[in-house]
Formats: sequence, C-alpha cells, structure tokens
Amino acid sequence: MTGPILSLRGVSKSFPQGGLLDRLLGRDGRLVALDDVSLDVMRGDVVGIVGESGSGKSTLAGLAVGLARPTSGDVLLDGQSMAELMRDHAGPWRRRVQMVFQDTSSALNPRKSVARCLGETLALRGVPKAQRESEIAELLTLVGLGPEIGPRLPHELSGGQRQRIGLARALAMKPEVLIADEPVSALDVSLQAQVINLLSRLTRELSLTLLFISHDLALVRTLCSRIVVMREGEIVEQGPCLDVLGRPQHPYTQALLAAVPKGLAGRRSPLPARADAAAPETREDIHGAA
Amino acid sequence: MSAALLTVEGLRVGFRSAYGGMVEAVRGVDFSVAPGEAVGIVGESGSGKSLSMLAVMRLLGASAGATGGRVIFDGEDLLAADEKRMRALRGRDIAMVFQDPQSSLNPALTIGRQITDVVRAHRDVSTGEARRIAAEALESVGIRDAGRRLAAYPHEFSGGMRQRALIAMAIACRPRLLIADEPTTALDVTVQAQIVDLIAELRRELGLAVVFISHNLQLVAEIVDRVVVMYGGKVVEDGPVEAIERAPRHPYTRLLKACVPSLTGPVGPLTAIEGTPPRLGRLPVGCPFSPRCPDAAESCGHQMPPLIAEAGHSTACWRPR
Amino acid sequence: MSSLRKALEGLDWSGWLGAGIVGLIILAAIFAPLIAPYDPLALNVEDRLAAPDASHWLGTDQGGRDVLSRILFGARASLSVGIGAVLTGAIIGVSAGIFAAYKGGFGEQVVMRIVDGVASIPLLVWAIAIVGILGVGPLPVGPLLLPNEVKIVVLVGCLFSPVFARVTYAVARRIAGADYVRARFLQGASHWQIVSGDVLPNCLSPIIVQATLLVAIGIVIEASISFVGLGVQPPQPSWGTMLSDARSAIYSGEWWLPVFPGLAISLTVIGFNLLGDAVRELFDPRSEARTLVA
Repeated sequence: MTGPILSLRGVSKSFPQGGLLDRLLGRDGRLVALDDVSLDVMRGDVVGIVGESGSGKSTLAGLAVGLARPTSGDVLLDGQSMAELMRDHAGPWRRRVQMVFQDTSSALNPRKSVARCLGETLALRGVPKAQRESEIAELLTLVGLGPEIGPRLPHELSGGQRQRIGLARALAMKPEVLIADEPVSALDVSLQAQVINLLSRLTRELSLTLLFISHDLALVRTLCSRIVVMREGEIVEQGPCLDVLGRPQHPYTQALLAAVPKGLAGRRSPLPARADAAAPETREDIHGAA
Repeated sequence: MSAALLTVEGLRVGFRSAYGGMVEAVRGVDFSVAPGEAVGIVGESGSGKSLSMLAVMRLLGASAGATGGRVIFDGEDLLAADEKRMRALRGRDIAMVFQDPQSSLNPALTIGRQITDVVRAHRDVSTGEARRIAAEALESVGIRDAGRRLAAYPHEFSGGMRQRALIAMAIACRPRLLIADEPTTALDVTVQAQIVDLIAELRRELGLAVVFISHNLQLVAEIVDRVVVMYGGKVVEDGPVEAIERAPRHPYTRLLKACVPSLTGPVGPLTAIEGTPPRLGRLPVGCPFSPRCPDAAESCGHQMPPLIAEAGHSTACWRPR
Repeated sequence: MSSLRKALEGLDWSGWLGAGIVGLIILAAIFAPLIAPYDPLALNVEDRLAAPDASHWLGTDQGGRDVLSRILFGARASLSVGIGAVLTGAIIGVSAGIFAAYKGGFGEQVVMRIVDGVASIPLLVWAIAIVGILGVGPLPVGPLLLPNEVKIVVLVGCLFSPVFARVTYAVARRIAGADYVRARFLQGASHWQIVSGDVLPNCLSPIIVQATLLVAIGIVIEASISFVGLGVQPPQPSWGTMLSDARSAIYSGEWWLPVFPGLAISLTVIGFNLLGDAVRELFDPRSEARTLVA
C-alpha cells in the first residue's frame, strides 16, 4: 500500500491564554505550540524529531498518536483523517499507533503489577484469557526481561526496567507506528544505550515505523534514518539524518550542533600543563558567536 | 605542589532509609581541589557524587549525614565546624549552584532581594551598596540591564537566565570555591553551552576553584582540569582530564565513554554497560562495579581495590588496562 | 495479605488505642440488646435520679431509666448516623469529584461550583430548614416509613459531600493527567474502565482517611442536632438527647446525667480521630518508595 502511514498536513495547535475576564476584555491571545507543520512518514521510516523546550515536539507527538486534535490542519493515519477516527475514541484504529512515554514514574499505574498491566492491555486487544499468560511471558522476553518481573509493582523496578515495561505495553497492541517521546531522557547514560539498542532491534524485527522525539542529536543520529528539526512550533529543517547533521543548512541546526558537548575538542579553558613538562595545549575555541 | 584548597579524606555519608537502618551512600571518598583548579565529578545514579558535596557543605538534613572522614577547607575541618561557622562560610567562601533553577529561587521575592540578602548576610554594607554589588554580579553573568532586572521576579526569567542569576548569587561575595551540582541538566543544550562558557569565564576572571558535578563526561571535559569518576559510593578513577579522555584506565570510565553516542564516526549499535545501576545497601563487598564489569574476575567482587596513584592519575581497580 | 500485616506493624500505641476504642463502641452498639442490663425505655419512677450504684452502674435519669442501657443503645444512633452520613457523603462527593476531574471543561466548573455552594451552607441552618419542611416525625416514602434518623443521615451526608468531592477532585486531577491513564486511553479502554480501574483505586487512600475522621465529626453533629431537638426524637435514646435532658441536672447536682453521655461522645470522637491519624500514617509512607539521587 502506497502513501505515507502517518501524515501531518498544515497542522497548527494553539492553547487559549488567560481566563474569562481576559477574553471579555479582548485580551484573547493564544499560545501557539505548533504553526503550520507538515510532515509525511512512510512505512518503516525511523524519524527523529529534535528540538529544545518550546519547540512543539511533544505536542506533535500527542497529535500524531491521537491524544489531542489540531486546532487547524489535519492528521492522517494511513490516509484516514484522525479527527474522524477520534469520534470512535475506543475503536480498533487505536491499536495501530502506540506511544512510549518519557517519565517512567508516571507511565505505569503504581498499584498494578506488571502482569496485570500487560494482561489488561492484551484483553483490550481481544486476546482470550487462556492465552494471556503466555503472551505476557513472550512480551517480557521481547524486551529483555524475565518472567519474574510479572508480579512486581512499578516502584520495585529500576528506571530502565520500567521503560522496558512501557515498551512492552505499547508493543502488546501490535502497533504499526510507535511514537517514543523522549523515552530515555530520564535514564542513566549506561542504561540509555541498552534501551536504544533494544528499540533499534525491535523496530527492525517487527517492521515498525518509529517516531523518536528527543533533544539529543547524537542519540537521534544513532537510531534514525530521517531527522526533523523543530524550533518554536515550526519545522526548520528536515531530511536524511546523516546529511542534515553532516551538512546542516539552517543556522538553528548549526547552532544546535555547535552546542553539543564534545569533550576535549570543545575546550573552553586551556588544558593544564602536563606533568611530563610538554608544552601546554593552546586553547581551542570552536564556539564562534554562540 | 601548592596546598590544596579543599581536601576530602575518607568521607563517608549515610542516611536513614525509609525501612529503618542506615544505608551508606558514600563509602570512603578521597580527592582534592587546588586553588583555582576545576575538578569534575562524574557519575550516575547511586554513585554518591551529589551527596558527597552536600556533605561537604553540611547541607544534609536530619536523616542523612557524614558518618566519617575529614573535609579540610583551607586548613579547617568542615565536618567538625559548628553551624554558625558553616553559615559564615557558605556563600562567602564556598558557594553552591544546584540543578533546578526554578526550585532554587524563591518565587515570592525579587531577584535583587535574593542576591542582596546573600551580600548583606556576609558583608556589612548598606542596602544601596548591596544593590550595587548585586547589579554588578548580574552584569558579570551576562544579564544586561542589570539595574532594572533586580526588580524582576524569578518567573519573569527564562530557565537559562535563572541559572545565571543563581550563579550571580553564588559569586556575589567572591567565594574561593564554587560547587555546581548538575547546573545544566535541566536546561536546553544551547543554553547549556552558554552556562558552561560562563562558568569557564568566571573562573578565569575570579580565580575560582570549581567543582562541577555531572553525569556527562563530555560536558565536564570541556572545562575542568581533573576528573574524578565515582561509582557505587567510591572513587574509581581520578586523573587529569586529558588522561581520562584519551587513556582511561578503569573499565567503568572506558565503558562510560564508549556508550555515549557521538556526532561523528560510524553509526551502529551502541556499546552498552550490562546490568543495572548499583542499589545502595546491596553492594558487593569488593569492587562495586564488578557485577557489570566485562573484565571482572571472581576475586574482584570480594575485595575492595584501593585507589592507587601513578603520576597524578589514580585508579581503583584490580585489573586496569 | 502481607501488606495488611506490614500495615498493622506500622501502628503505634495511639493507633491501637483508637482502634480499640472504636472496636468497643461498635461492638457495644451491635450487641446492645444483649449487653444492656435494662430496657432503655423502661420507666421506673421509684428509682428515678438514683446515683450510680451496684444495681445501676451509671445511675438513672428523671424517668428512672438506666443510664448505662441508654448509653449503649444511644451508641446505635450515633454510629449509624455517623457512618451512614459518611457513606452517603462519600458516594455523592467521590462521584462528583471524579466526574469533575475526569470530564474537565464546563462540566468540571459547574460541579465544583455546586460543591462550593453546598460547602458554604452552615449546618444548623440546613438542619432547621430541612426539618422545618419535613417535620420531625417519620417520613413516609412510598410503602416505607423512614425514621427521623434517615433524614439526618441524608442531611449530614450532603454536608459531608463537599469534603469528599474536593479531596477526590484534587487527587483525580493529578491521576487523570498521568501518562498511564493516557496509555489506557490509547489502548482503547472505555471511560468507565479507566475510571474504575485506574482513577478510583488511586484515590482511595485519601478518601479512606477523610472518611475515618469525618465519622467522628458526624457523631458530634448527630449529638448537636439531637441536642436541639431536631434529631432523634424522645423516648429513643441518643447521646445528644441525653445531654439535652441533663441540662438542668448541672445545677441540681445529678452529675451522672450529663457526664456519662458527654464522656461517651468524647471518647468515641477521640477514638475515631486516633484511628484516622493512624490510617493516614499508614497510607502515606508505604506507597512512596523514596529513592535518593546520589
């Protein structure tokens, strides 16, 4: 089937500011989160959406997964208008797009065990009770966890484990499109790598289309084939990941790249004189007008 | 070698866990900071990096505290000092900047008031003079139109500006040591770069010593002279930044460097550190990293490796490369 | 349940004391007909105004009725009104709170403003108005003849509902915004499934704490209403009516007439308060597993 699986056409999203009085007095400004954004995502794409705070990337994620409606413009899931689909808010179309959330502490119900959480999800997909246990075990293995995790509650798990459960829950619906909203930002660096590798492998194995939202350019470079750079509600640059990051056209993209910490290559102070009395390094200042 | 400004010897910090009993989070940490030197403390959760510095500043509450060791600042043991002495030191000789600029500022007071409060706590100056000093401090951290800005409230500032204001508050009394605990983690990456620039510049201008705590080795390597790597409540490596970046000896440091994705180089699966972060109270008797270490031998988990120095570069490992 | 055992271990002496008092009062109320030495309504004019002695442990009142028996039976009125009112208030209030928090928008504003309105009505004005309209006799509702207590329960229940509504609203709002609720939404769960499975269970702790503390207040309210004659009607025993009847005894020296009902009210209230505090302690630290970022 041709055509993009997910498409945003001229999407804008704004929120009303102020209360009733402001509106009566004519002060009805709106906070614009997204401004005329258009994006096509083809089946099997792994797209990274990067931006800083206020860029609108999380709002875009919410619209793409059907949690909110755009103020204007249209979001299309496989050609069908998401606004139409949302009228049947609990319909089977829901299964096709799923989300992995950022904040592991609020992503799982603190009172439900892992097994119960996954079991409920499977029930909504229509899996008969008899099969649920084996599918839960399969899902846990899929995300690299053992069956002993089943009876545990979220607060008994580490951040990395919780994130894997969040992923398992999303995958339990057998979606075609997965939207990951900063899924590793709250994790230790050493765990980020684990989860990113897992995500990469599963995306390939399950032929998923992945929308990866992040502020971390290097992470996006590792995982994604396409990149979309956003700033204050607009897309400023998009294209193949290595191209955009290797030869950025837009000044904002260039500024973002320049700001990424680079270790010794980004020294701002001279290196201390070495104990073996070699000449001290000269200061390398690669930050021009930051 | 000039006398160190800050020397931490055998520092141990414990806290009362929710289930009763004491948990030791910092288990014998040694490092030092020379005057004007910038030291980075790098570690992840469970490493004890923040707790160590909070213990140095004696900022831990009733349920946590230093349980052993010495902290010598300019010849004085801070752990033995009384609260009155600590109050005199804090803000004037040692200053600290924290991670979240929003919760570090009182939303009900103007920025100017908060800075002048610090100045007047340590120096006997008039209100007018204190305001002048505060405005000067704001200028020095790059906030233009400082005189007017003194009257602003924290919510009128952006995140980056708030952090600058906090740094201004910290340096207003010209301290000798600035401790920055993950000062940029809550900020956007472009703002982060600016704040790091600022700290480097202030260090040059004021001859400040800096302790920069972070989980990001690349970030820290851009401005510090030495790096102290912590894991599971202990120092695992301590050396000049060049040596740490180019030739790390401890397996954890090596792996930490390797698992961070880069903007250059080939794209492929990331090197990962297997296992989960250390859980306090359930640490092995020996090296805390041994459960996750690819080079570990059976014996590594049974005996704690000592921190051995070699030409200014120390490692705590039984089998360093 | 291991969590129940851990919970019970967490109770300190005040919690046990509260639980003990409440337990005794409840048992007294349930088994009053078996425990009471005399019929609480039995008039015995020869023995009237007798001081406490071996045959009447707490003395007798103006009609010769045994005070101890009247107190035991009075516990029924107090507890049934207290607990009944709390249940009524909880059902109304929790539903309103969850509706407002989950639905949002205009419905949320309407419901919460109604809650504010009810919360601003003072008790006695409310009581007098209702009783004035409906009278103090039993209320015929269809084939049933409801005693006056039912009116009190509904009246006090309505007064309690704003507390429950506000507490539930505050917690439910936070939950409704949590990612795990969004996740359920994305899975295609119905609104009812989300509310009953995710929102309500997480609201329970503060609701239970409020409920326990409000029973104590309900008992005092029942006593107050009965004291002014708008509640339980004589000759039915109620701690409030007993206090009312004993008003003149303060001057004439029959100290046992006001003291024992007063003690009963005080002890019960203290018991429920201690229990409520202990319940609040139990729910607070258990669910928060505090992790320290080092």
